[in-house]
Amino acid sequence: MANTGWDEFEIGAMLRSFDGVAATEIATTHQEDRNYSQNSSFSASVADWRIEKPIFAKDYCIDCQFCWIYCPDLSIISRDKKMIGIDMDHCKGCGICVEVCPTNPKSLLMFPEQANEEDEIASWPTKETKEK
Amino acid sequence: MSEMKKIKNLKEFSTSADRFEGANLLCPGCAHSIIVREVLNATNDDLVLSASTGCLEVCTAVYPYTSWDASWIHIGFENGSTAVAGAESMYKALKTKGRLKQPERNPKFVSFAGDGASYDIGFQWISGCMERGHNIMHVVLDNEVYANTGGQRSSSTPIGSSATTSPAGRVSYGEKKNKKDMVSIMASHHIPYAAQVAPNKWKDMVKKIQHGMAVEGPVFINAVSPCTTEWKFDPKDTMMLTDLATDSLVFPLYEIIDGRELNITYRPKNVVPVEEYLAAQGRFKHLFKDEYKYLIKEWQERVDDNWAYLNRREEARV
Amino acid sequence: MAFDKMELRDIEVWDGNFAAAQAMRQCQIDVVAAYPITPSTPIVEGYAKFLADNYVEGEFVMVESEHAAMSGCIGAAAAGGRVATATSSQGFALMVETLYQASGMRLPIVLNVVNRALAAPLNVNGDHSDMYLGRDSGWIQLDSYCPQDAYDLNFIAFKVAEDHDVRLPCMVHQDGFMTSHTAQGVKTLSDDVAYGFVGNYQPMNDMLDFDHPVTHGVQTEEDWHFEHKARQHNDLMTKVIPKIEAAFDAFEKLSGRKYNLVEKYDIEDADVAVVCMGTSVETAREVATEMRAKGIKAGVVGIRVIRPFPFMQVQEALKGLKAIVTLDRSAPGGTVGMLFNEIAGCMYNLDTRPMLSGKIYGLGGRDLTKAHLVELYTELQANVDAGKITTPLQQFIGVRGPKLSFL
Repeated sequence: MANTGWDEFEIGAMLRSFDGVAATEIATTHQEDRNYSQNSSFSASVADWRIEKPIFAKDYCIDCQFCWIYCPDLSIISRDKKMIGIDMDHCKGCGICVEVCPTNPKSLLMFPEQANEEDEIASWPTKETKEK
Repeated sequence: MSEMKKIKNLKEFSTSADRFEGANLLCPGCAHSIIVREVLNATNDDLVLSASTGCLEVCTAVYPYTSWDASWIHIGFENGSTAVAGAESMYKALKTKGRLKQPERNPKFVSFAGDGASYDIGFQWISGCMERGHNIMHVVLDNEVYANTGGQRSSSTPIGSSATTSPAGRVSYGEKKNKKDMVSIMASHHIPYAAQVAPNKWKDMVKKIQHGMAVEGPVFINAVSPCTTEWKFDPKDTMMLTDLATDSLVFPLYEIIDGRELNITYRPKNVVPVEEYLAAQGRFKHLFKDEYKYLIKEWQERVDDNWAYLNRREEARV
Repeated sequence: MAFDKMELRDIEVWDGNFAAAQAMRQCQIDVVAAYPITPSTPIVEGYAKFLADNYVEGEFVMVESEHAAMSGCIGAAAAGGRVATATSSQGFALMVETLYQASGMRLPIVLNVVNRALAAPLNVNGDHSDMYLGRDSGWIQLDSYCPQDAYDLNFIAFKVAEDHDVRLPCMVHQDGFMTSHTAQGVKTLSDDVAYGFVGNYQPMNDMLDFDHPVTHGVQTEEDWHFEHKARQHNDLMTKVIPKIEAAFDAFEKLSGRKYNLVEKYDIEDADVAVVCMGTSVETAREVATEMRAKGIKAGVVGIRVIRPFPFMQVQEALKGLKAIVTLDRSAPGGTVGMLFNEIAGCMYNLDTRPMLSGKIYGLGGRDLTKAHLVELYTELQANVDAGKITTPLQQFIGVRGPKLSFL
């Protein structure tokens, strides 16, 4: 939202997250079906915070949802109990998702921001065996 | 009376539609956000929320952005709890007078505040709300310092922690005073429910939040919120730190019913030595110097003593 | 309706506190969050008794401090309903931070301030130090001179504050003890007429409208703060006075009682005038009439609307006079009084302006007598006769010890 003049906003610095009516049952309406306003931080991006990013190797994922619940930035997109991807506009690159991922090899790993997703998935590390 | 949302397992929980948004200004890895998400996702009911001045408020409502998808108010530092109590009073008044716009709904009133806002400057306000019996829930996001302003000590800061106003130095080991036991103090108001929670034990937290929302009257929840910036650990390790906090029993998970009955709700399979918890955080690193190692021993004794105390209370059903 | 109406007599003998409590009852407030403090306590006690006797519905929250009282009022106002409370002095000082928060958040709340001195030393009696403390808080502020005013101005307060073009909280001031505890014959409005004047509360940006969630109380830094405060100031400077004047007109039609931004008494051809607030206005009017009989063309200007300060109207009222004195009932803390400064401000740029001096009086409930005012008008006339101010610019009236004057 551009910096507007003193006469161009609602009084009291009040903000609304939605244009018009929020979804009828907001608690059961996912983000893609909500009519966010330009004042919802959903409409903003913090992608430039990252110096490294998670890449998701779907083949190893067991949909345990640990990454979904422990992502502080609501950047793990889960629908119908399946992890379907990462919201790269909102991911700050904290790395929690990787740490909590229980699979072996992990289904999520951190890479430098400029890494190529396809290449990294193609050369994903193999299963780690514990040394006896 | 609304139906409690059924959450059997994490997969079921993952179908929740969050009412909190990303692209906020919280530090990468901040546990506040994880806690807020678990609290808000515990219910499908409408929410009226508040936050006291602090990290959560300052990072989620800076004009022109808001990260809140439910009605939310911030007034000041002390009075987040009273803000929501005022809203709850208005709800009751409008209900009596038949002026609610959506009279069939059952909103939940939840205030979030840090330990600084809750244990110190807002103590009286929360006490007042608990005493007056408002149907609200106050959730403390406990990172044991005034994190938002750079990590000054609060009455939640534990012994030996280096905070900026109780720093470790050549002749000091940091904070000298023990952490205030807010859960007991609030439970002594004989509120229907008080509990300590941690975001790693999501099922325990969600169960407690649901119980708190279902019960009539004021509820006090203390949530440990490991702070990557002020506790000084890598952002990716937030959940590992929370695991250490609960499994070392530094942050035992329990609940107090009506101020008169304590239940321990989590018993770690393997109890971790407190030293491991302390070693994982930069704010305690000076305790590993020879002259301060005795404090680590005292830490373990204190934690053991407190755990024994909680067990005694549970056994005696008090 | 689940509560009982009261049949009031045409004239009731009420003190300022009870008059305010009655007005609050008739406005059918939704949430009152309050804390007791002398001398405003009877307002909340009166309201509590109305609740206990089923004359009001709604929530009455007896909070644990005045700061909590205003905090609760803000939360309730943001939730979306009619909100009011009362306080004085130390309590007012304690809630000062929340006063700025309430006005910045543009929430209509009515606060009855029973003016009392600020400690230290501790004093429970009436002066205007609490009023002066809140002058920059961004609230609309009205001043009562007697219990009738305290009653009437509450209706004006709700009507103006809740207007969607205004949405600013409003204080109704009255002198502690001198108005609050002094009974007078107060002409009443019936419950229906009073409520009809104020009308139903119309919600705006209400948190309890779950289909339109709102975020109240954000942070604005250097890139936004100035615009938001500028907007608040603009609305105070341009939107409020027309609404107050319209409310005063409507109220006159209803009751026959006319209020004005600036209460002028015998000013049209006056040479000298006293400018003041509170109960002193009525005392000054009596003395002015007596001085007229002695050949001094005396008048009185009472400030009715303290904020937004009626700059042009005060200028208009005073510009033709020869000598004015301002009476400030607050310890000025090392400078001239607030009224002196504000009057000086609106007169400064005139081509010809009256001579201006100021008095500090009545601190901590010290009485202002007619004798004091006779002396004052005589002094003003002496200034006129000499063509210059014959006294120091600031003098204390009615304090024991050597004569205290400065500048």
